[in-house]
Amino acid sequence: MKIDFTLNNKHITLDTEPTKRLVDAIRDDLSLTGTKIGCEVGECGACTVVIDGEAVTSCLVLVGQVQGKNVLTIEGLSELEIGRILQKCFVENGAVQCGFCTPGMLMSAYALLNKNQNPSKEEIKEAMSGNLCRCTGYVPILNSIEKAKDELKTLSKK
Amino acid sequence: MNNVKCKKYFRPETLLELKDFLKNTSENVSYIAGGTDLILHAREKDIYENNIIVDIFNLKELKGIKEEGDKIVIGAGATHTDVEQSDIVNKYAKVLALACRSVGSVLIRNHSTLCGNICNASPAGDSLSSLAVLGAKLRVLRDDKIIELDFFDVIDKPEVNKLQNKDLVVEIVINKLDENVKCDFFKLGRRKALAISRMTISTICKTDESGNVVLFNITCGATFPKPMTFEDVNNILIGKKPSKELIDEVAKKLSDKIPEIAGIRKSTAYKQPVCEKMVKRVLSKMLLNEEV
Ligand code: FES
Ligand code: FES
Repeated sequence: MKIDFTLNNKHITLDTEPTKRLVDAIRDDLSLTGTKIGCEVGECGACTVVIDGEAVTSCLVLVGQVQGKNVLTIEGLSELEIGRILQKCFVENGAVQCGFCTPGMLMSAYALLNKNQNPSKEEIKEAMSGNLCRCTGYVPILNSIEKAKDELKTLSKK
Repeated sequence: MNNVKCKKYFRPETLLELKDFLKNTSENVSYIAGGTDLILHAREKDIYENNIIVDIFNLKELKGIKEEGDKIVIGAGATHTDVEQSDIVNKYAKVLALACRSVGSVLIRNHSTLCGNICNASPAGDSLSSLAVLGAKLRVLRDDKIIELDFFDVIDKPEVNKLQNKDLVVEIVINKLDENVKCDFFKLGRRKALAISRMTISTICKTDESGNVVLFNITCGATFPKPMTFEDVNNILIGKKPSKELIDEVAKKLSDKIPEIAGIRKSTAYKQPVCEKMVKRVLSKMLLNEEV
């Protein structure tokens, strides 16, 4: 079945099985392997992508469901200013150790900051609550998002 | 994992297209909205192999939450996030907004639907106790007509609903509560996000000018085989001024329902006292402004 959607700001038509999981279509059909597979049951957030502005676990979405939608993966985020700022803040604040959770973390952080330029600490925690990290203890991740928030604010004032 | 195995995947563009399709098929139909449960079920077993999967998630007619006079109407495509953030739900049925907020994590809530939660009849469905105290009704498309069914009559037992093949729940209907009805929702899980409910408590209550209770409903979820409310529990408070003694009585009576209805199970020794304690805590805070 042909599925038309926007992937990382480019319109594409993908000919694939519509009942394939979105994460498999992204990794196998489209060879974008930045999106990770961890638990496969919606609990770890490693597979997070952003669909029409909302962060979702792509292991629990069928690719047929993204017809007409706007899908952003970590590869697309890395080309955006906000993605570069988030990446820099994660690196500078020790939010990346093994790195397995990082793409998912960045996607959730992006979805939050894209909607809410000034989230509180609680709102940041809430937005990141579906992403697990086995290495960092979370504090550096939350701090990095605070830093990114401040940098984005300064940028928008310029 | 392999794809979700099914006979066919069909994604109608409009409700009309869906109705036409339903008229002309005698196959088994499984609907997918958000899909967060269906994909998990398919992982465990190929249960949809002989079914047509009909994807209703993007049907515009089923999106959104609207007011219809004294009712709130929630489309089958509304996600838990949509419900949690809806001004209408927060104003007239806050207990449901609170319940939806406790589902999974933000990532799950952004794609899973309230209607899916009902149709899957998950014994741990977080939203179900709140829908029970609100007395929700379901509008169901059956044989090209819309019929209204009681929410309690649709859920049969854990993971089994009483819908017929091809029945599609299109909307959830809830009577608006007036704005000064107090409510609370409590979820007991093993961790903060992504917890599977061990128990939920939903309650709504309204008092008149003299402080007497005129409306009261309380129940617990993830406890009974299907959502239930109990007149004898609610009647303890109705017509009276809330007091510690009455709250204790409600807590005792509701928690006694657990062995009465669900039978004595391994979890009873845990659930019964927890229910009693939680009900006391929720009601004391809500009605007496006291922490217990
Ligand atoms: S792989 Fe999707 S949430 Fe873990
Ligand atoms: S950095 Fe290793 S899991 Fe997060």
